[in-house]
Amino acid sequence: MDIQAASVIAAALAIGLAAIGPGIGQGNASGQAVAGIARQPEAEGKIRGTLLLTLAFMESLTIYGLVVALVLLFANPFV
Amino acid sequence: MFDFDATLPLMAVQFLLLTALLNAVFYKPLMKVLDEREDFLRSGDTGSKDKLAKAESIVQEYERQIAEARRESQSLVQKAQAEAKEITATKVAAAQQEVQSQREAATQEIEQQKASAFATLEQQVDSLSRQILEKILDPELIK
Amino acid sequence: MEILGDLTFLNIYTLAELEVGEHFLWKIGNFTIHGQVFLNSWIVIGLLVIASLAATRNIQKVPRGIQNFMEFVLEFIRDLVRNQIGEKEYRDWVPFIGTLFLFIFVSNWSGALVPWKLIELPAGELAAPTNDINTTVALALLTSLAYFYAGLKKKGLGYFKHYIEPTPVLLPIAILEDFTKPLSLSFRLFGNILADELVVAVLVLLVPLLIPLPVMALGLFTSAIQALVFATLAGAYIHEALEDHHD
Repeated sequence: MDIQAASVIAAALAIGLAAIGPGIGQGNASGQAVAGIARQPEAEGKIRGTLLLTLAFMESLTIYGLVVALVLLFANPFV
Repeated sequence: MFDFDATLPLMAVQFLLLTALLNAVFYKPLMKVLDEREDFLRSGDTGSKDKLAKAESIVQEYERQIAEARRESQSLVQKAQAEAKEITATKVAAAQQEVQSQREAATQEIEQQKASAFATLEQQVDSLSRQILEKILDPELIK
Repeated sequence: MEILGDLTFLNIYTLAELEVGEHFLWKIGNFTIHGQVFLNSWIVIGLLVIASLAATRNIQKVPRGIQNFMEFVLEFIRDLVRNQIGEKEYRDWVPFIGTLFLFIFVSNWSGALVPWKLIELPAGELAAPTNDINTTVALALLTSLAYFYAGLKKKGLGYFKHYIEPTPVLLPIAILEDFTKPLSLSFRLFGNILADELVVAVLVLLVPLLIPLPVMALGLFTSAIQALVFATLAGAYIHEALEDHHD
């Protein structure tokens, strides 16, 4: 397997694997937030704001994977 | 993609300059305005508090006046009631006295008439008994 | 294998053509700088300064129009900074964190909203300044410097005590944190903006009409959130440096 093919596979794996954890985490957080809103509808605004911020944090983990994938595709130091 | 060059420090310097510039033309004047407005609102707050206290004192004064008037009216009512009671009592007493005196007068008259009746009756009894005696006995005897 | 290699090359080439591109390089002495980043950042800066000047040119007690809007922006920033740093010390940091937020926010949205492709450059293309790793790293490093400055100014050299504060065992992790903070800050912003533009570019390449619109809207949303996240994190780091560990 030459280094180009390896890089492409690695890029796919980087983004794919990096999406698993944050996906689970985001689902968990959103579920808890919905439960919180259902239990306390008057706190919806606050919960939503915090939820969006935390979702952005989790999202950035996937984005790190994406950055690595982009490095492998466009700025690969080994090619 | 990851090519670092002189863009980085220049961008940092440029950003710091932007911060300084915005601090001068944006943050400082507007923060001042916001603070002033907050101060104004707070002082307006105290003004309204004063007014509220004044209104409350006025309300208390009025309430006091109302209570006084109520007390006065109550005392007036009581006085009137007492007067009315007194008047009725005297009238009742006078009426009772009159009734009493009339009754006494009536009984006295009855007594008098009774007595006079008895007296006439006794006279009649005397004369009748004399007549009876005269009839039965000899008139000479009686003498 | 050769065909695959060619395909990969072709893909990389078209995507590169779409997105990453070459830079519009300027040379100053021995240094090269990315011209398109600066051009666009000047537009952003000009926009911010003009809006500020328009808002503060004729300040009135009862705000109207642009002054009202900028006051709303300022109150938003102030609340953000106050929530992170606390009532006592937040005032010194409103300009820095506020400018971070405004610059990143306007940059992100300018990249997403303005059809820069219409303007032809000799090389590369205009895009959001935060699309370039240099910009985000510069901002992240400034944030690092800011929290070091905050800690040193408040506690003097005693600031460095927090490295060994609960236990010296955590010293390597504490030092490592100083590197991961700017790294994660810059990569988060860079990656998000780049990913947005890349996704939009790929969708436009596949279906040029209507289909990319929801993705563009999502891009606007994430751009705003990322500006908020960057400013919030900068505030949190500065607060961490200012915090007293002794009481």
